[in-house]
Amino acid sequence: MTPAMTAVQLSQLCPSLEHTYCVTQQVYDAFRLCSGDNNPLHISEIFAHEHGFEGRVMYGNILNAFLSHFVGVLLPCDQVMIHAQDISFHAPVYLGDQLLFQAQCETVSEAVDIVIYKFKFVRNEGGKRRLVARGHVQIGFLP
Amino acid sequence: MTDIFQDILDVDDLEVTDSLKADDVDEWDSLSHIQLIVAIEKHWKIKFNAREIMTWQNVGQMVDTIVQRIG
Repeated sequence: MTPAMTAVQLSQLCPSLEHTYCVTQQVYDAFRLCSGDNNPLHISEIFAHEHGFEGRVMYGNILNAFLSHFVGVLLPCDQVMIHAQDISFHAPVYLGDQLLFQAQCETVSEAVDIVIYKFKFVRNEGGKRRLVARGHVQIGFLP
Repeated sequence: MTDIFQDILDVDDLEVTDSLKADDVDEWDSLSHIQLIVAIEKHWKIKFNAREIMTWQNVGQMVDTIVQRIG
């Protein structure tokens, strides 16, 4: 367990953070199982190709699972919880993709003890970074 | 101010008066209260402290603090 801290302290200790995530077969299988989402876009190569994609499109909300890992594990304080989040998806993610996650502290409120990080997931495409998703996550602290 | 309250509390016809308080609006729970404070801080580019927000009994007292802060 890490020491308790305030929003201001967290924002100072961790103003920004980067981490690489990979959408592995194991991640895909686990998300398919827990969501029960068997839409053909996610499970059929043929269907995905017919609609102009390179392959099965990974579930966008896998990125929200990665976001959960960022908040619950990567932040240097484990007495945190997610209050709210938003995310927009800008490019499809495929099996085996390596995604660079970048988070930056955007808002701190001492009055209500919350931190809002803006984040994005990007993929390296031949030396150029392509935006995959971006959003915000508001984090509060356990009493 | 009304727009912020209507948006955060998701009550389109909410009438925001000085006497309005959290108990008057079902949607005004603890998380909504946090969201209101954050939205108001962003909108007026001000910062409250934990002590002063604890003293507010209604919207009017909140507005008084905002007016003091923005001069």
